[in-house]
Amino acid sequence: MADPDRVKPEDRVEHKSLGSGSTPGSGEPAAGHSRPKEEGKARPGDAAAAGEEDEEGSSLHPSPAKKLKLEQDKKKEKRQKVDEDEIQKMQVLVSSFSEEQLNRYEMYRRSAFPKAAIKRLVQSITGSSVSQNVVIAMSGISKVFAGEIVEEALDVCEKWGDTPPLQPKHMREAVRRLKSREQIPNTKHKHILFH
Amino acid sequence: MAEEEEDPGFDEDLDDGGNGVDSGQGKRKRLFSKELRCMMYGFGDDQNPYTESVDILEDLVIEFVTEMTHKAMSIGRQGRVQVEDIVFLIRKDPRKFARVKDLLTMNEELKKARKAFDEANYGS
Repeated sequence: MADPDRVKPEDRVEHKSLGSGSTPGSGEPAAGHSRPKEEGKARPGDAAAAGEEDEEGSSLHPSPAKKLKLEQDKKKEKRQKVDEDEIQKMQVLVSSFSEEQLNRYEMYRRSAFPKAAIKRLVQSITGSSVSQNVVIAMSGISKVFAGEIVEEALDVCEKWGDTPPLQPKHMREAVRRLKSREQIPNTKHKHILFH
Repeated sequence: MAEEEEDPGFDEDLDDGGNGVDSGQGKRKRLFSKELRCMMYGFGDDQNPYTESVDILEDLVIEFVTEMTHKAMSIGRQGRVQVEDIVFLIRKDPRKFARVKDLLTMNEELKKARKAFDEANYGS
């Protein structure tokens, strides 16, 4: 199966930027990460963007096509520059890690849910087969979900003056907090407003 | 008022698996124990996380996958889970949304790269 961590060296540079994509607060468009590699393949992405912007361009300007192309080129350049900056910063950061930090970072990047188990689980719920992309998406967001809980639990642990390893009480408090922020999906309890 | 009564009920469901007495979710064999341990270490926990915490997290992840699957089945094409449905459900959560877009884009690129590689081999 395609394990992103085992791609060839020339892909690794681009791949490093994905790690920062998972950090909190970075709201950059996902397409920005793949820009460096997508030189020849930029057409599909640009065509999609052009399709969305077409409506406003044609109603405002005599030469919408040219104006659109200039805008897209500027945006692409900006995204590439931001991308390269980010890759460089990540490289500088990772090169200054201690051994323990390197270990932890490696675990952070490499750990993943087994695709077979996720596929089995989803198929047992739907009763029909699911595509590979669904499994990829589901394992990805499950990992982000697990990360959110662990991070919240670590916050709780620190706030209560305890030390890691995390205990069940930290996990439960983290779940309670995330639930109040509606970050944990819950369709069992429907609060009926007017009855 | 109703919500306060609900919360302990939900929490009991979540953590009962670790107590020795089997609840519904505790009876199932542990699917992700090894991977979850590595993941918890990667996210900041100790190198050896407590087994009870790993169990709680596994139950939460399975519940999350179950909820997402049910929701995805109820929208778009009924009874099926498609990627577009998952992306739609995630749209409000910036982290998960960005992650899914990243993963799917990377997958496409890898597929193209593999295909180009195979064709190059085939040609020569």
